[in-house]
Amino acid sequence: MCVGLPARVMKIDGGRAVVDASGAQKEISSELLSDLEPGDYVMVHAGIAIAKIGSDDMSESDQILDSLL
Amino acid sequence: MGNAKEKALEIIRAYDGPHIRMMEVCGTHTHELFRLGVRKILPPQVELISGPGCPVCVTGPGFIDEAVWLALEKGAAICTFGDLVRVPGSEDSLASARAKGAKVKVVYSPPDAADYAADHPDEEVVFLSVGFETTTPSSCVALKSAQESGLKNFSLLVSNKTMPQAYKMLKGSADIFLYPGHVNAIAGNEVCKSLVSQGVSGVVTGFTAAEILTAIAISLKKYGEGKPFFVNAYPRVVKDEGNPQAQAIVDKYMEACDSEWRGLGLIPGSGMKLRDEYAAFDARKKFQVPPMKGRTNPACRCGDVLQGRCRPVDCPLFGKACTPLKPVGACMVSGEGACSAYYQYNE
Amino acid sequence: MNDRVTLAHGAGGRQTAELIDKVFKAHFSNPQFTSDDAAVLQMQSGKLAFTTDGFIVSPPFFPGGNIGKLSICGTVNDLSCMGAKPLYLSCAFVIEEGFEMAKLEEIAAAMEETAAKAGVRIVAGDTKVAGKGQVDQLFITTTGIGQIQEGMDTSGAYAKPGDKVIVSGDIGRHGCTILLARDEFGIDADVTSDCAPLWANVKAMMDVTNDIHVIRDATRGGVGTVLYEIAEQSQVGIRLDTQSIPVQDGVKGVCGMLGLEPLYLACEGRLVIFALADKADALVEALRGCENSENAAIIGEVTSDLPGHVILRTEIGAQTMLSRPTGELLPRIC
Repeated sequence: MCVGLPARVMKIDGGRAVVDASGAQKEISSELLSDLEPGDYVMVHAGIAIAKIGSDDMSESDQILDSLL
Repeated sequence: MGNAKEKALEIIRAYDGPHIRMMEVCGTHTHELFRLGVRKILPPQVELISGPGCPVCVTGPGFIDEAVWLALEKGAAICTFGDLVRVPGSEDSLASARAKGAKVKVVYSPPDAADYAADHPDEEVVFLSVGFETTTPSSCVALKSAQESGLKNFSLLVSNKTMPQAYKMLKGSADIFLYPGHVNAIAGNEVCKSLVSQGVSGVVTGFTAAEILTAIAISLKKYGEGKPFFVNAYPRVVKDEGNPQAQAIVDKYMEACDSEWRGLGLIPGSGMKLRDEYAAFDARKKFQVPPMKGRTNPACRCGDVLQGRCRPVDCPLFGKACTPLKPVGACMVSGEGACSAYYQYNE
Repeated sequence: MNDRVTLAHGAGGRQTAELIDKVFKAHFSNPQFTSDDAAVLQMQSGKLAFTTDGFIVSPPFFPGGNIGKLSICGTVNDLSCMGAKPLYLSCAFVIEEGFEMAKLEEIAAAMEETAAKAGVRIVAGDTKVAGKGQVDQLFITTTGIGQIQEGMDTSGAYAKPGDKVIVSGDIGRHGCTILLARDEFGIDADVTSDCAPLWANVKAMMDVTNDIHVIRDATRGGVGTVLYEIAEQSQVGIRLDTQSIPVQDGVKGVCGMLGLEPLYLACEGRLVIFALADKADALVEALRGCENSENAAIIGEVTSDLPGHVILRTEIGAQTMLSRPTGELLPRIC
């Protein structure tokens, strides 16, 4: 129900942020997340940063599998 | 690094337990499962059922009728996510209304629709606000900016929905639920955790191959242990508390209401509507939209498909009267709809 | 001369003559460019390829080209795909009243430059002016004749099980560029159109072998549409390895944001080639040595099972059908 795209914050100004995903840049709303800084990674959905994420890499699944099994 | 996929595949391939039904609630999961060909590598006793988590699929024809009416009768410029353009209403889809002169603009996001309204003061802009917990905050952000900048030509036709009541209704449809990662990113894990006490098991996960396979592998392992469970397999995005700021903005502008789901019928408390104080931004009130029930083809079995009661191929219209090029039911419209996915991928 | 095209420029009188002289003849300078009712051409013996194509693009100017360049590339590439050396083109313009003369000149200059690069001559033309609002800025139709080269016999019906599938470069750039140029979604990316004439690239492949089963240029429907057409025409299955399909980062990013499939984004300078497996590496090598096909790659193979279908080998090793396009590309949130 919700295509999300991990993206890197390039610029931040008030409640707006410019994010970059694989070379595509777009201004989005960042007002639902506090304390964002350039360089942070966010999950973007429908023009809004919905969550701050550690990075855009996928190593997390490794750890989860290891810790649970 | 990077071997979660292989490890998870190994666990999945080696599964020799009992028959298990897993429902992916989220339409984006359905889409990715088909795109990756996950069903092809599952052992035969693991069944994946596509749930109702595609906002396009569960949006009834009445909503499309309202949008078409606003466009053709009131001359409103309709801004919408691309997903809705081809969804059939009772008579017209937005695409066929466009051929009759309706102004239909596809936007990337609700704030983009508000920006469009600001740039076109001579047009009455209506944004079609659909979607679940993930998408609703975006509509509210757009509304907030419209309100703050005093936009008079922008309103929302709201049909947003929420998942908790639907989960309860679907309880018996599957043994394990793959919960939608981005819904929980907003709403948090509380609801999913509380369902464990009612015997409902599930894993919340992301959308990459590694994340999806990991969630399936965890499900198979945990199922064998025999106790209901909830696992957050997407902690890089999903926090237990969700996104409180997103929850707050939705609460400010919207409140719960009953909502009609295509196929599932009326689910009390499963919808969202604008609070009365924002009536000026409510397209239904602003344009006095008459009540529209919408008509569906009685032979269409989208409802049963959405509840996992039948497969798309069991519907008499599937692949005959109903194809992706000429969809009858919503499950055939959206690329992530179960019928469309079955048709496209020749399942 | 006026700085905008007027209805009088299309009325056939003095101003029409002026427009033709100052804009078209000034750019399309070659001995065969006709002042009479038709061009007179000397033909060699052998087989000719003959094709026509209409061009509508909004906006008419975009990073990497304009509608003029596009109109030459499209027809040159259609001829090239038949193994035909492009020889002569005609072009017909329908121009909206009020179109800027300077832009028209820029378009004509791009056409001549592209034609020269492709070794083809523009020998006949026509100009009509339509009232304001009757066309969107300008439409161009080009028609071309080419000489099919000795020993070349390609067709979408000739793909054989065992053939390798080659693309001549990274896919989807033209479609992505146009999407961004329309600026409907507020997305920026460093993407330019792949629009290019490809006769030299076909020629380079012919220097390796004439035994090439299929050459097609992927245009508005993208590489995916071409593959489905060939799978049906040849009644074969096509299996793609998703990991090996070249896609530029910016295109990936835009597709990620809008939920689009790069295989269905338009290309205007990309060939899809089917050839025997033992020739494929040499063909890729030859393409990589040419301008506009430096990123050529083998992306899959032809199978005898599942005729009419395009199958993807996905990153988890499963096989799945490539979904078919359902009309206009619409961005999705779900």
